[in-house]
Amino acid sequence: MTDESQQLESITQKEYKAGFVTDIEADSLPPGLSEDVVREISRIKGEPEFMLEWRLKAYRHWLTMETPEWAHVHYPAINYQDISYYSAPKKKDDAPKSLDEVDPELLKTYEKLGVPLDERARLAGVAVDAVFDSVSVASTFQDKLAEEGIIFMPISQAVHEHPELVEQYIGSVVPYKDNYYAALNSAVFSDGSFVYIPKGVRCPMELSTYFRINAANTGQFERTLIIADDDAYVSYLEGCTAPMRDENQLHAAVVELVANDRAEIKYSTVQNWYPGDENGKGGIYNFVTKRAACRGESSKVSWTQVETGSAITWKYPSVVLQGDNSVGEFYSVAVTNNMQQADTGTKMIHLGKNTSSTIISKGISAGRSQNAYRGLVRVTPKAENARNYTECDSLLMGDKCGAHTFPYIEVKNPTAQVEHEASTSKISEDQLFYCKQRGLDTEDAVSMIVNGFCKEVIRELPMEFAVEAQNLLGLSLEGSVG
Amino acid sequence: MKQLTEITTPFSEVAKTVSLPGAGLDWLTQLRQQALGLFERQGLPAKKVEDWKYTSLWQLSREGFTHDAKASTLQASEVADAAVLEDAYRVVIVDGRFNAELSNIEGLESGLTIKPMAEAWDQAEKLLGQQIDLDKPGLNALNTMLMQDGAYIHVAADNSITKTIELLVISTADNDRLASHLRHLVHLETGAKATLVENYVSVGETQGFTNVVTEVNLADNASLNHFKLQHESLGHYHIATLASKQAEGSQWHTNNISLGSKLARNDIHSQLLGEQSHVTLDGLYLVTGDQHVDNHTRIDHAVPNTTSDEVYKGVLDGKSHAVFNGKVFVHQDAQKTDSSQSNKNLLLSRSSEIDTKPELEIYADDVKCAHGSTVGQIDQQQLFFLRARGLDETAARSLLTYAFAVDVLQRIKSEPIRQGLSNVIEKRLPKGA
Repeated sequence: MTDESQQLESITQKEYKAGFVTDIEADSLPPGLSEDVVREISRIKGEPEFMLEWRLKAYRHWLTMETPEWAHVHYPAINYQDISYYSAPKKKDDAPKSLDEVDPELLKTYEKLGVPLDERARLAGVAVDAVFDSVSVASTFQDKLAEEGIIFMPISQAVHEHPELVEQYIGSVVPYKDNYYAALNSAVFSDGSFVYIPKGVRCPMELSTYFRINAANTGQFERTLIIADDDAYVSYLEGCTAPMRDENQLHAAVVELVANDRAEIKYSTVQNWYPGDENGKGGIYNFVTKRAACRGESSKVSWTQVETGSAITWKYPSVVLQGDNSVGEFYSVAVTNNMQQADTGTKMIHLGKNTSSTIISKGISAGRSQNAYRGLVRVTPKAENARNYTECDSLLMGDKCGAHTFPYIEVKNPTAQVEHEASTSKISEDQLFYCKQRGLDTEDAVSMIVNGFCKEVIRELPMEFAVEAQNLLGLSLEGSVG
Repeated sequence: MKQLTEITTPFSEVAKTVSLPGAGLDWLTQLRQQALGLFERQGLPAKKVEDWKYTSLWQLSREGFTHDAKASTLQASEVADAAVLEDAYRVVIVDGRFNAELSNIEGLESGLTIKPMAEAWDQAEKLLGQQIDLDKPGLNALNTMLMQDGAYIHVAADNSITKTIELLVISTADNDRLASHLRHLVHLETGAKATLVENYVSVGETQGFTNVVTEVNLADNASLNHFKLQHESLGHYHIATLASKQAEGSQWHTNNISLGSKLARNDIHSQLLGEQSHVTLDGLYLVTGDQHVDNHTRIDHAVPNTTSDEVYKGVLDGKSHAVFNGKVFVHQDAQKTDSSQSNKNLLLSRSSEIDTKPELEIYADDVKCAHGSTVGQIDQQQLFFLRARGLDETAARSLLTYAFAVDVLQRIKSEPIRQGLSNVIEKRLPKGA
């Protein structure tokens, strides 16, 4: 092994920074899954009847389903009876009414993570709905948003305050029958965010949620629902971390987005769940269903994701382009290192006329990891003049990792223009040599080349996230050989 | 084991009762038995098998083909019309059986052996079945348990065969619902060179089933130019596997032209097992009416320093449905692999459908792999340009379609073959709608 590779190796082996455990008492259900557990979750949350019915339908359907095995990932079977399906920080008395009442331990956790929950948040202009394990502990800026008529609250609260909206939209994009993990999530989801932007409103600030899995042996099953009504605009950020634990933890989330006429939703994710150690011990199983419906004409949904964490990622943020002239975008950087496995990509389903979609996917594999892009572009017979452009590039760092591309293209309308391009390459000795000759050390050179490789995606991220993402990229790849 | 399919067929019954050439050979009987066992477990692949996601064999399974061929009345002049090349060694297989009278394999160049498979089992024994994966969901097991005849072609070391070999497989209307299960083996020893044209054609209207496996084994520095033309009747079924194993420095250039059949499926598999070996997979499919064509290609780069190059183009008219799946698999040690792949499709009609999936699976880091795939229609500006110069709509569209397809032909180096194939293709090109 060359000096360079050793140097790179040492950088990749950097420790997981967000891997601390917060010591607070939690109210958890004992491990196990049954109809009673589903009923209990619903009872704890004091949900209306329609939610319980829906959960039970989902649970009964889930029992009939089989674990999907088509993804390019390998892991031991999950025992769903070993998982606790509900965990909430123990409440002191009642729910906190303001930030001052929030458990200081919790606040400290967020501080370590750099979430601007307090005054700094106002300066940063970010409203945070922080999800700690299963319950949203505090949401900021609600008043300011309320003035505009924007609803931004935990979904458990929205079920009480806006049941008509929840009932109308929940499961309308991702039905509970959709897939194995979506069904499981529908049955046991604990909390998540609910956003409603009324007609003609442009959300004045970036909305943000921070997910963190804390308690051991719990799964996090959050459910996010965002609705942008006619002519509305919202940009939503989501960040995720989890403490280091030896067991694998399960995260099966569902995100549903609905964009009505001329509405636009921008959804950005920086996912930094614990990836496991260098031997593949521990880490999060991230099995997520994310889908957007461009219901209205000229609506637009843009997914941007930077995926650096998780032991296993199984995630395909999709857009169903129903409205005429609607636009779907998917920008993704997926980094895998050590023993991580990622099978991620997108689906663009063209239904309306003059719809267009863009897919830019950048995969970086290092160590002994496996990184797969899996995507579908479907043009249905009635989707006149559909347009798709897809670009998937892979960068390999090390001779034990894998990079794979599985793009499905299905076209049933001759007016479609569909293009797909993919390439695979490594950081060449020439590039490294060039940078080093100009005084950069190997680490900075690799970081610079990687950031250049991902530039098209990173620039789609909101400012604060872009900085975080670039740091994360550097962190995740430190030590990887070019 | 998971049940792969619910499609049941009468083929296993046929395998148990029919008498096949070479039945006295123990190894062959064993191989056929093994295949029968597999086929009885697997059956025909159903659509839930990923590789058969877009192609249904259900209709085929209901056709009730016969396996008894009557003597054919095919004339020498009809054979000459069906052939792509005038000057070639001609191996003629009519309705599933080698026909010595119509063939022309006398006075072969030195180093070249051509025999009907039914008389060459002994020579073929060592390599037969080595190039294909019997377990793979598909029709390899079916082919193996029922293989009856085909061509055995062998070129001894360091011989360059100058004359092209044309393997002419003819289905005739005398046996219009016949299933024939053919097996060809092409073996080129070290440094040998040859050119082969496989030509599948119907004389008269046929509604039969051609199930063929061609195995290619190329020793060090061997080189094979391999063309396949399939223009059987529109009521015919054509299912083929084309598989190679390539040793160091060997070259395999294939060109797969699919024009005919109601349902055509090609599984092409190249295994680059020696350094400096190269494969070119080219293909063209022109389909119309309710034709269905499915090309699955897979290239295994198993060792360092191998290259591959693939261009597939398709023109779809009528209610046709085309499927392309191209997989490039780079194994862990296969550093310095260089691979490029492109699949382009032209949709001419409202109700045609294309499903394309270029795949990369890469386990080595120092590689250069790229693929691209497009789906589109005739460019309105190009059309306008031609119209402005006085061509009518139909002629202009026809010319643009030809221009799109001709790319693949231009990659053919041999003039007589290019001409022979062009003649057939031009007749099939849609005249613009």
